[in-house]
Amino acid sequence: MKTIVSLLMTLLAAAPAWAQPIRVGFASAMSGPSAITGEGVMWGATMAVEEINAKGGIMGHKVLAFFADNKGTPGEAVSAVRKLVDVDKVDVIVGQTHSGACLGALPIIKELQVPQVTEACSNPKIRELSGVGGNEWQFRVNIDDAIMANTFSKYIGQQVKSVSIVAQNDDFGRGAAAAYDAAFKKFGVTLVSTEFFDRGQADYRPLLTKIKRANPDAVLLVMLASDASVFLRQYRELGLKPRLFARGSVATVEFLDLVKDNPGVGDGVIEATFWTAALDPDWEKRWLERWKTPVRIHGSLAALTFKYAVVPAVELALKKYGKADRKTIRDALEQLDVKDTPLGPIKFDDHHQAWINMVLIEMKGGQLRLLEKIPTSPAILQ
Amino acid sequence: MEDLLEQLIYGLTLGSMYAMVAAGLALMFGVVRLINFAHGEFFMLGAYAFWFAFRVLRLPYPVAGLAAALALGAFGIIYEQTVIRSILHRSWHVQLIATLATSIVLTNLAIIVFGTQAKEVPTALASRVLELGTLRIAWHRLLVLAVTPIIFFALHWFVRHTKPGKAMRAMSQNREACAVVGVDVERVALWTFALGAILAGAAAALVTPLYNIFPDMGALLTLKAFAAVIVGGFGYVQGAILASFLIGITESLAAGYISYVYKDAFAFVIMIAVLLWRPYGLFGRRIGI
Repeated sequence: MKTIVSLLMTLLAAAPAWAQPIRVGFASAMSGPSAITGEGVMWGATMAVEEINAKGGIMGHKVLAFFADNKGTPGEAVSAVRKLVDVDKVDVIVGQTHSGACLGALPIIKELQVPQVTEACSNPKIRELSGVGGNEWQFRVNIDDAIMANTFSKYIGQQVKSVSIVAQNDDFGRGAAAAYDAAFKKFGVTLVSTEFFDRGQADYRPLLTKIKRANPDAVLLVMLASDASVFLRQYRELGLKPRLFARGSVATVEFLDLVKDNPGVGDGVIEATFWTAALDPDWEKRWLERWKTPVRIHGSLAALTFKYAVVPAVELALKKYGKADRKTIRDALEQLDVKDTPLGPIKFDDHHQAWINMVLIEMKGGQLRLLEKIPTSPAILQ
Repeated sequence: MEDLLEQLIYGLTLGSMYAMVAAGLALMFGVVRLINFAHGEFFMLGAYAFWFAFRVLRLPYPVAGLAAALALGAFGIIYEQTVIRSILHRSWHVQLIATLATSIVLTNLAIIVFGTQAKEVPTALASRVLELGTLRIAWHRLLVLAVTPIIFFALHWFVRHTKPGKAMRAMSQNREACAVVGVDVERVALWTFALGAILAGAAAALVTPLYNIFPDMGALLTLKAFAAVIVGGFGYVQGAILASFLIGITESLAAGYISYVYKDAFAFVIMIAVLLWRPYGLFGRRIGI
């Protein structure tokens, strides 16, 4: 008996002495038509949290990750936040990946007073509703579609005169379509038509026939990889010639994995985004080794947001206030200034918007090429 | 004119998919008097079975298609034995909840087993295009249009000329009388579910090379097939098939000339309009196969 007790005491003494853990919630679509994003977020977050803990956590505080399913919808986002706050008692949330879910979560994070750092929601309304005069608990790392539209439309305007938009029918697609509509006018691009579709469509041919009739110089796709793979196969089947620009996750390794039998269907697509595997090849390598599947854009964004915004904010809170609760993490996020990340600098402005880089990616012959890395600033919106 | 012809061809392809799913749904209601709300998920499972046979086992397309249809037939038998048999004599509320619950379980099982990443199963014919002037049609689309009537002819032959088919017809007319004269009604129910599932599996193998496969692809399909079954006259298989083509063509024309995003609404607008005009469906009160 004595031996067992002394053995237990030795083991306890040998175990690392963790301070109170930091509880981080990750909210994304884990089921429903957008479940692919949540699966990626779960993988990316798991990897990032494991890597931080392997290095001793955040100043000796172990990180615990919790996950919640928002199904990519506003209503379920509220349940996801409640679950993370009431059940998992998280200190900070990373999410919600989808614009509709982000917008749906805004009132509840304010009510429950929990900071939320968004990694991928690009609806411009989120910036207007956050920070000064709005929701003080919401922060966004990714740039939105108004910011990107103003930069990308200028680029598109230098290449073509008229464009048709094909966008998914949700807050992301409609937000982007409205932003590009306004930006195209600014840069002299004629918007010939705008078509929306519900995700997971089997047949885009009727829509493509409409585009053929409209005969624009280019088509701007606002869609994710799984829809784009079907859309572009049918685009090629119909023999359409307009140039292709994209927003979403078209020029990605996810897309190339879907069309690996015929990668040429994605040839010529130029996508505006804020993350691509080329920005962090080491992360992509570790992802491939760990999950044996191509790196996912939303999972990577959640992981990078955790690593380069949440972790430094917790560190700042611990150093400055001696504790890392919801209020001090929120205050630390406001003061955050991380200069060098694969995404660009992360410093939140009055509307809690970070101004990371925008990148242009070109897809050709099954390869992705980083065309340009463009720094962003509030001046873009003037 | 070519534009209209193109839209009609898309409508017929879409209609073919709806028709094969709706025929199974109508068959099940016609014979067993039960609405299988998991029928769209039968199609989804058929699609994954086809993906497994074609992409993983690398079987030739016709063999993979046949394997998917037969695998679904086996699944239909298991489903009938486990889920349907225990609820067949219960109220419609129980049947509704049980089949809906099955659909949710199957969708989530597919997420766990196959993952959330969509899968594609393009055949050689899916990327080869027939060009007639400005008209461009993938050869696989023409294959769908050619094979669908053959499948329906085989179905027709089965229910007209085989013993199980005749028993299914008899049961659709009077279940009690069948039981009295010694027809094994449970076995007939088993045949019906196997046949309905085979149709869903065949539809999946036939059309998924044109589209892609993901876990919740069956949800909207169940509703569309259900609309076709209602429009066609509840439980009347030929009616459901014709209504499916009507819905497919209307949807395609609406998507091409009115609004793509609201195209799904047209199936249901047709359903409501038909119910207002002819409450028993386009073909009247003709439950039967």
